[in-house]
Amino acid sequence: MSVASLNSAAAAAATPVAPSAPRRPGTLRRLLREPVAAFAFAVAVLLVLAAVLAPWLAPTDPYDNNLSSAMAVPGTEGLPLGADSQGRDMVTRMLFGLRVTLVMGLASVLLGGTVGAAIGFIAAFYRRVDGLLMRLMDVLLSFPAILFGLAIAAIFGPGIPAVVLALSVATVPLMARIVRGAALVVMRMDYIEAARATGMGDARLIFRHVAPNCLSPIFVFATLRFGQVILLGSALSFLGLGAQPPVPELGAMAADGRNFLFFAPHIAVLPCVAIFVVVLTFNLLGDALRDALDPRLRI
Amino acid sequence: MSTLLEVEGLARHYPVKKGVLVQRQIGTVRAVDGVSFSVKRGETLALVGESGCGKSTTARLVLRLIEPSAGTIRFDGQDVTHAGGAAMRALRRRMQIVFQDPYASLNPRLTVGDAIAEPMQVHGIGDADARRAKVQELLRLVGLAAFHAERYPHEFSGGQRQRIGIARALSVEPDLVVCDEPVSALDVSIQAQVVNLMKDLQARLGLSYLFIAHDLSVVKHMADRVAVMYLGQIMEIGDKRSLFRDPRHPYTRALLAAIPHPDPARRGKVTPLGGDVPSPMNIPPGCRFHTRCPFAQDRCRSEAPELRAVGSNHAAACHFSESLPDAGLDYSGGLTEAAARRLALYDAARRRAA
Repeated sequence: MSVASLNSAAAAAATPVAPSAPRRPGTLRRLLREPVAAFAFAVAVLLVLAAVLAPWLAPTDPYDNNLSSAMAVPGTEGLPLGADSQGRDMVTRMLFGLRVTLVMGLASVLLGGTVGAAIGFIAAFYRRVDGLLMRLMDVLLSFPAILFGLAIAAIFGPGIPAVVLALSVATVPLMARIVRGAALVVMRMDYIEAARATGMGDARLIFRHVAPNCLSPIFVFATLRFGQVILLGSALSFLGLGAQPPVPELGAMAADGRNFLFFAPHIAVLPCVAIFVVVLTFNLLGDALRDALDPRLRI
Repeated sequence: MSTLLEVEGLARHYPVKKGVLVQRQIGTVRAVDGVSFSVKRGETLALVGESGCGKSTTARLVLRLIEPSAGTIRFDGQDVTHAGGAAMRALRRRMQIVFQDPYASLNPRLTVGDAIAEPMQVHGIGDADARRAKVQELLRLVGLAAFHAERYPHEFSGGQRQRIGIARALSVEPDLVVCDEPVSALDVSIQAQVVNLMKDLQARLGLSYLFIAHDLSVVKHMADRVAVMYLGQIMEIGDKRSLFRDPRHPYTRALLAAIPHPDPARRGKVTPLGGDVPSPMNIPPGCRFHTRCPFAQDRCRSEAPELRAVGSNHAAACHFSESLPDAGLDYSGGLTEAAARRLALYDAARRRAA
């Protein structure tokens, strides 16, 4: 193309007939276009609503026990999902248990994930502290989450906050490693060098150029970890370090029902089904969200 | 014309270390090893050479995207090598870069409009509306449409992306644009488009280019002056016409002779260079080209030649640049008279047919 024809092309583009781009669907709309994603989103909304509105939805108080209906099977008059070993309504227990479980899982992943991601970005970006930070992460990695739970419960006393803290600490090194790896790859790209050449500050470089391009592995790991954290939290509750007995928590309820597996399987099975639904829903939602946020997959 | 960029003895050495716990240096990669050149306002200096000769490293050193090990860079009289925070930021506004790979040089998560506006935003130029208007102006300048601003890089072809990269570089109205092989990743037809656009923009905006390339036909079209690099040093530098007509360094001659040529009468006269480029970790003593030079003498193996003037605005780093035997090749791309006539006839026939 010669200079002259280029200029005329430029002039042609400048005339008012320039077509306008069609409007692009937003992130939420693109998320909901996929049937599986839309379903996962709907279920997640229902789960969260159920957890938030538990005090209003639940037919009874979660601590009301009625030993005469202990281990009532589902379908018993007034107890659609039966009652547990203490005769507490399973519907109520599940709603409140969902509440505790969701908060525990989300809080641990958000807290541990944020701190871990920050450490990962810092290690990738400031290579001088990379060795130090990563060896620290290695030390954290070498302790099992249960051990953190024991230590933290010993210091602060058992309870949900202790579980969240322990699970967050156990999440930090994993997220840090994943983010560091992703960031190191992104930082070798030419657009990072181009961004540096404009003279922008480090914060802008990280938040606008490095971090957005590391979102895929972060999302995948966060959703995966959400499921793991709920199971770990249940394990801690089972050990008596997490939710303390009367407090309903899905993992603790499942552990409680273990003793009655032969006589009243619903006491253990129902909370497990709930955990399964929660974990599956958030995994599907995480995958879909990752795709919806990636402009390369936009149509 | 005043001098815009002055580079003196620029070097970048990378230590090579061995050992896990106790590291000791076992050598040095001399990627760039004492390079000096200058670029005048409105001029294009092309830096050519084989892969791994240090062209791209030189480009990044000039912009201080890599810190130099030695040497000085002066931009419009200001020292770049030691410029601190604010001074460096101000300098960055006046020097921009265009990359080789149009698929890697644009952030896939930013719309084209945001990518082009970002340098302006960083330097606090204009408000959001002014920047949006400027983005549209720039898009038109590089032959794209204003509505392209809302699209993402993956929606464009390689040539279009390269033009977006150029628009981004121009958004802060720089004086110098460092082009690191801006067309070598593109198809030949698109290369012409981008090269012509760059020439057009240079004429319009008075830009200076430091143009890195390994394709000599592109260099011949773009450059005012040419510097030939080999193993981290400049072998020959000079005015494009003089250098292409009368190359005074055996390496330049070998490079020029390697350009595909339409004249069949040349066949047989060209001997391609043998061997490989030596490792920059282990640079040969004396003249660094002597291992591959068809004219190497004893002196070349012991004494490194200085870059010295061999004509007005033309210098070469060869002990024997005056006495090099004439290879009988015309490097300027001219044809023998008979071949030229044949080509003209063929061209005319094709035009009639069209």
